[in-house]
Amino acid sequence: MSVIELVDVVKRYENGTELITALEEVTFQATHGEMVTIIGPSGSGKSTLLNMIGLLDTPTEGTVRLNNREVTDFSPDQLTEERRSEIGFVFQDYHLLPMLTATENVELPTMWDTEIDRHDRAVDLLERVGLGDRRTHQPNQLSGGQRQRVAIARALINEPDILLADEPTGNLDQDTGATILDELTRLKQAENIAIVAVTHDEQLVEYADRVVQLVDGTINT
Amino acid sequence: MNRSNPLRHFPSVLMAWRNLGRNRVRTALATLGILIGVVAIASLGMATAALQQQATADLQGLSNEVTVSAGPDNTNHGLTDDQVTDIRTVTGDATVIPEKTNFTTLSARNGVEAPVSVTALTKADAMYNISRGEISNRLQSGGLISESVARQLNLDIGDPVAYEGQLYRIQGILSSSQGLGGSRRELVLPMSAMANEEQYDSVTVLTTPEQSVETLTTDIESRFNENDEEIIRVRNFAGVQENVDSFLGTLRIGLIGIGSISLVVASVAILNVMLMSTVERKGEIGVLRAVGIRRGEVLRMILTEAAFLGVIGGLLGVVVSAVIGVILFEVLLGSPLEAFNWASAQYLVYGMAFAVIASVVSGLYPAWKAANERPVEALRE
Repeated sequence: MSVIELVDVVKRYENGTELITALEEVTFQATHGEMVTIIGPSGSGKSTLLNMIGLLDTPTEGTVRLNNREVTDFSPDQLTEERRSEIGFVFQDYHLLPMLTATENVELPTMWDTEIDRHDRAVDLLERVGLGDRRTHQPNQLSGGQRQRVAIARALINEPDILLADEPTGNLDQDTGATILDELTRLKQAENIAIVAVTHDEQLVEYADRVVQLVDGTINT
Repeated sequence: MNRSNPLRHFPSVLMAWRNLGRNRVRTALATLGILIGVVAIASLGMATAALQQQATADLQGLSNEVTVSAGPDNTNHGLTDDQVTDIRTVTGDATVIPEKTNFTTLSARNGVEAPVSVTALTKADAMYNISRGEISNRLQSGGLISESVARQLNLDIGDPVAYEGQLYRIQGILSSSQGLGGSRRELVLPMSAMANEEQYDSVTVLTTPEQSVETLTTDIESRFNENDEEIIRVRNFAGVQENVDSFLGTLRIGLIGIGSISLVVASVAILNVMLMSTVERKGEIGVLRAVGIRRGEVLRMILTEAAFLGVIGGLLGVVVSAVIGVILFEVLLGSPLEAFNWASAQYLVYGMAFAVIASVVSGLYPAWKAANERPVEALRE
């Protein structure tokens, strides 16, 4: 069963007077325990597709299903709830909050759920990504690789079904990138989640179970 | 987050506090603006409270007085014993004090002379306050003298003064603030000092708390004056207190209005600071929204930041205003702690309330804007 499913998704933008079609009848799916890598030149619609999968944006046409439930016409608030419970995000620039410690950054997505205590899970996740001794450090006291590992731990705090990664190794050197990808592969199996990564990185392709190539808003199979 | 941290139950407060700590200079300047606004409102309010209290204290002695004297149509040019008896009948329980007045020149042993007005009366203790010495109902063979005359003639308690060939011993020195006539140069003697004068120059009626000054005034007038004849003239000072109160009320509204302008300016500064900081953090807020933080939670976080600016600025403003208030009350009334009576301390509460309300209102737009930014747009930053 697929975790996320896009059927004939079209996305058009109004850019001034011009109508731009970013995605043209894209059909895509990802299942538990699978890492899918989306590759393609810049401007091919990779980010738009990732935004659709991450429920950050809604399609102009087509259908989006999350765990077999149609979420296409969900309101922004309903989509927020779905992201909160089912989706984890890892960004190229890590996007950690500078005034929070590593543990607090990991807890961030669940911070407002005061009745559920995620502290133990946050500590556990940091230990699993090898940062057990960096828990009270602030982002500026961590290296790029360490920051990305904090970001991965943050993406997993809500026990998501899908982890979305936008150029997760884009700002890291080859070796650090490799350790991050090892980490993701391990977590994919341990947590049985679907990982969808967008990248230019050849290295990332090697780790993928499946590669999807996007050209001019359509998928080349 | 450390489990023992109590703020973990108040995530908006925790996040707001950390965010304000990121740019301390900006936070400090926004807080300073609020502080100045609160000080403007609270200290101007407290100043008018001090003025009002001072005016009330000064006028207190007059607000229950009705003064009766001969009118232009009075052929006797004074009030007779019979008329005084009539006044007593009309005024019931009020204290009626007939007075005779005259002028004389007192001379000191060293030859210095001072012109004074002389008042002869009974019940001096009901009419006068003294700053030193003692005051008795009938004065017997003693007198009271005003501070300025005593100083000029180098007289003190126990010294004799002569009037119409009779010696009187000074029993007390009159308080210098004695209502509107406080600075009069005056010698107060027992009624017997003017026994040879048949008529009274004036009669002072002191009302009881239950009596209305206006009603008594009308009662006395209608008893003596018929048609257009003004046999007697009746005056009261009740209107003075009212006028002063009303004037001070207007003054207070004006001053607090001026103070409020500075708080409005401060809240515009907060609007600016919050807008700048949310625009700067657009990407960060996008991340919050992407990872599932609700719009309401973002809104609360930013409103809490604005409220913090108001609370911190307000509290500091209240402390500064309280110090100013204490100094004002010390200078104007000589009793610094009166600044903390509700009449004056209420402006500290208002200042604080205005600060918090103004800050939160200023935070509304930036918070709303940040919370409703589409995460896709925000992340693109």
